[in-house]
Amino acid sequence: MSRIGEIIETMSTGFVAESFELNRPPALGSLVVVRLPDEAGARATEVDLYAVVTYGRTAGIDPSRRAVRRSTDEVFDQAIYRQNPELERTLRTEFCAALVGFASGGQMYQHLPSQLPPLHFSVHHPTAQEVQRFTNRLQYLRLLAPPYAAPAAASGAGQVPPLQVVAANVRWVYKARGRDEEWLKAAAREIATLLKSDHEALLTVLYAIEPVHATDAVEES
Amino acid sequence: MPLKLGPISGQVQSMAKALVEQFPVQEDYLRRARKHLRSADVDRLRAKLERHFGRQPRFPWLVAKPLDAGQRLYQQGLAGTTSAPPAPRDFCVVGTDGSSIPPDRHSPVRYYVVNVGYALITYGSEPSAVLDSQSQLCFEDRDMYVFPKEHEAPLEGVRFGARMEGESLRILRDVLQASTRPIVVLRDGPLTLWTLQNEEEKVQHALLRDFLDAMSFLRDSHIPLGGYISFSGSRDVANSLRVLICEGQPGQCHGCTSDERDLCQALATIRDRDLFANLEEGQRSELFASSSQVLEAYGDQRADFFYFNAGGEIARVEVPRWVSLTDEQLGLLHAVIHDQCQRSPGFPPYPPALLEAHEQAVITVSERRLIEEMVEQSLGQLGHHVTRSAKDDSKRRRGV
Amino acid sequence: MFKSLGLVVDGTFNSGLIVRLNPGVSLEQLRIGNFVVVDGQHNRYFSLISDMQLKATDPRMLSDPPRQASPFVAHTLAGTSTYATVEVKPMLMLEKVDETDADALLAEGTGPQPVRTIPMHFAELREATELDFATVFGQEGGSNFAMGMPLAMDLPICLNLDRFVERSNGIFGQSGTGKSFLARLVISGVIKTRVAVNLIFDMHDEYSFDKQTEDGHFVKGFKQLFGSQVLVYTLDEQMARRPGRNADVTLKIGLNQIEEADIVLLSEQLNLRPTAEATIGLLHDVYHDRWLLKLLEMTQEELDEFCRASGAHPASMASLQRNLKRLPRQDYVLPEASFSTLDDMVEALDRGKHVILQFGRHNSVLDYVLVSNLVTRRVRHRYEEKMRRYEETQKVGQEPRPLMITIEEAHKFLNPAVAGQTTFGTIAREMRKYNVTLLVIDQRPSGIDDEVMSQLGTRVAGKITEERDIEAVLTGVSNRSALRGALASLDTRQQILIMGHAVPMPIVMRTRTYDQEFYRAMGARPNTAASAEADISDLFGD
Repeated sequence: MSRIGEIIETMSTGFVAESFELNRPPALGSLVVVRLPDEAGARATEVDLYAVVTYGRTAGIDPSRRAVRRSTDEVFDQAIYRQNPELERTLRTEFCAALVGFASGGQMYQHLPSQLPPLHFSVHHPTAQEVQRFTNRLQYLRLLAPPYAAPAAASGAGQVPPLQVVAANVRWVYKARGRDEEWLKAAAREIATLLKSDHEALLTVLYAIEPVHATDAVEES
Repeated sequence: MPLKLGPISGQVQSMAKALVEQFPVQEDYLRRARKHLRSADVDRLRAKLERHFGRQPRFPWLVAKPLDAGQRLYQQGLAGTTSAPPAPRDFCVVGTDGSSIPPDRHSPVRYYVVNVGYALITYGSEPSAVLDSQSQLCFEDRDMYVFPKEHEAPLEGVRFGARMEGESLRILRDVLQASTRPIVVLRDGPLTLWTLQNEEEKVQHALLRDFLDAMSFLRDSHIPLGGYISFSGSRDVANSLRVLICEGQPGQCHGCTSDERDLCQALATIRDRDLFANLEEGQRSELFASSSQVLEAYGDQRADFFYFNAGGEIARVEVPRWVSLTDEQLGLLHAVIHDQCQRSPGFPPYPPALLEAHEQAVITVSERRLIEEMVEQSLGQLGHHVTRSAKDDSKRRRGV
Repeated sequence: MFKSLGLVVDGTFNSGLIVRLNPGVSLEQLRIGNFVVVDGQHNRYFSLISDMQLKATDPRMLSDPPRQASPFVAHTLAGTSTYATVEVKPMLMLEKVDETDADALLAEGTGPQPVRTIPMHFAELREATELDFATVFGQEGGSNFAMGMPLAMDLPICLNLDRFVERSNGIFGQSGTGKSFLARLVISGVIKTRVAVNLIFDMHDEYSFDKQTEDGHFVKGFKQLFGSQVLVYTLDEQMARRPGRNADVTLKIGLNQIEEADIVLLSEQLNLRPTAEATIGLLHDVYHDRWLLKLLEMTQEELDEFCRASGAHPASMASLQRNLKRLPRQDYVLPEASFSTLDDMVEALDRGKHVILQFGRHNSVLDYVLVSNLVTRRVRHRYEEKMRRYEETQKVGQEPRPLMITIEEAHKFLNPAVAGQTTFGTIAREMRKYNVTLLVIDQRPSGIDDEVMSQLGTRVAGKITEERDIEAVLTGVSNRSALRGALASLDTRQQILIMGHAVPMPIVMRTRTYDQEFYRAMGARPNTAASAEADISDLFGD
């Protein structure tokens, strides 16, 4: 099932959704999509809103109820959930996502949509082709990277530093595109352009996205 | 804000001092009391209780009466204990609780809101949980009066409370489904709705109808029911002990010459939970029958009780007579309560099923306000504007 | 397809354009002096790279550069956070026409123009294509002579020899930069295209016959390349008789042909005192053209007598006589000689022959300077006469053929001290008044008089590193700053910078190789007996 959550707060810059699976929100930095039918309800011209997951959190549904320690020597980790089935009902996992673009009429756009995502609509995993098509252009990174990204509060309690979100997104897209080295190099350059006046910030991101194996020699173009 | 904390703080300290000085004395009384519990001659107690209380319709003391259940009970006087049997691998526990927005005296509109919360938790090989609530707004005559046709006995105060208790059990009919697993129902609070004791009989019957119907439903479904009272303040057994040691007429203490007079007087303030503080974790006390007058209206659903060590506090558990007399059901209930307390995240332990039921039942202040606004808006749309009482307005506005 | 190098981000008309290089373009792939093209919206600017700079978007990075950066990080930073700019100087501009019509492009009536404007921001800089080279330098053929190729391409860059011989020119470069090869190329071109006739003063016997190069192999001389078109004169009789390398004419000069100015020019070589000039003047006053003969004949008494009579200083006279006695000792010096040999030579030149004067054993500086200056004076004199006659009659066919005189060690003739007195100085300043120009070859251009230097139309330069020499070569050239760097960064062999009258814009190139292919291109034919006969008749007329 590609539905992974439901929007419970929505703003022009993004939304907060409750994840259907407890403790398993979509990965930080991953691309998610909200599918809107057009105004007439016909699916032919629907609009798909793309967003990048910027934050995740699991806590009691009732904000005044805080989690307490439940483990014992015999019962710990996943067993706690079997032991206390009501936890599935009293806890919820939320995630925040920042809007980075949308698809309409077969075209991809990488700026904020004029309408915000409707409350209670589903959040989906995008298809592999959607990821490919959307990330072929890199302008969407401008909506995530400081200093042009929306302020943290606006995109929903973002307590993850925006640089880390950008890095997480790049790593995720790189894998989703089948370890596309060329894309990674292009994305790194785009980020270098955006962070040109703060090289420590740039290095923070570059160190977080460079391919892991030392033998991955990147060829000079 | 204008509370003067200065003088109060001194008084708090005096109180603390006095309290602490009492502890060793209390311990001594408790020891002696427990000794009496252990050595109690149950038949003699039964006879005494019959003699002194059997005649009177109402006695100032609530006492705990030994059950008529043959030789299997009361092997150690009144101090017998039973350890919790192991809970079955797969079972269900249902907790229910109710909450309400009572009729608002300051509002010209007469209505109230009932919210019953329940938690149906399944443990074992396929754990799951259903947490939900049922809410209703009541405004019709049949909701507002015990006898709607005659507009008699408006539902206010304790009557309203009793109606609430009924609602909290009525929901079980909708919630419980046939299952191969053993099910236990717990409710927050007593089964004995003693608040109704001053009502006329016909009112009592009317108000208890839903409550008792639900209990019958459970009996017919072979589902044991328990009313769980945390940190009980009851003194039934303490009173029975006083009767037991009394050498004269219980209650007529003037001129008493007994050696145990001091103990008797102490027992006047000692609570059952202190008496049974020596229960081990998971153990329950003997079963006792309650002498509450209102139980006359319960018929064969009358409630008995026992004390239980939840592992941090002594709780009082009330069960219908049909559970007391069925070992299997009593054992299951005991096992499940113990199991629940072991799963409790907090301290002292409290059954999660009841905790969640309560959370489902709770109506917040903002929800309260929301209902008020909904009502006002609805009426407003139809052209009728609501004005509240002056007192209420002054409380809300609090202008200077 | 051309490669885009970067975008224009800054610049002024006077100092050039600043181009921000694209990521992926490394400075190390470019060279100072490279021919590049800026595509503006309306014009195309043919330019040279004149400077390079390293930059960083965040200067803080430079105080703490990332150490141990992985190849990935380094690759990302290159061209984005760290980047390079090049300064380019537009040299020519061309109004843009329809790109797809290459013929229209080349047939553009007016061709590239001097630069009068600059492109707007973000105009693209790219490598020059074949079409660009052809547009600017024209295609090979006619008087367009291929001198070499661009550093990274295989297509000919041409020197317009018509324009080349319109002025005096210079070939410069440190020793070992192959100036004689450059001279060979240029002169071959002039011979092949017949835009002028050549008179070459071959001090080191390099140009006439086969010569062994530093590398050990032999290269052809002009005589072998062009056969009877070339006449070899020599001062050295012995050399004239060598088989297969024999000269056509032996030249002698007479003491009567030597003038005051010749002697003054040789002050250093003859070890003359400063008073020599004055003394000679006194002699000339009395004896006129025969002053030298007379002086050399004079006995001691006659010397004294003369001194008494003229007021000349005896010691000066004595020393002068003593020093000048060297002259008749030279094998090629006769007491008297007629000018007819030289006049015949001029006629041969006018008939289209090229003359190389070899010095053979007599190649000391004294010999070279004396003979070259003397011969040239005569040649120029004859040319002056011819020119005047032509101006009077204006008869077609009367105009004397353009003559290019090649001299080496030019600073000996053209240093500031003597430039005013040598014929060469005169010719340089006259600027082809009489259809005579110079081709000066030198490794110390700073030794040449500024005024002369500024008259040199085209300068062909190999690598030069001396500041003074660089400044000298660039005297009177616009866009000096752009070219300074180019000059200093040339490769020692086979890379040159050509600037000036004969090229539309300064250009760095690899020189054409002087080899078999070149010989074939020059249409070399073997020196057969038949052509030897033709030589003789050519020499002496019909």
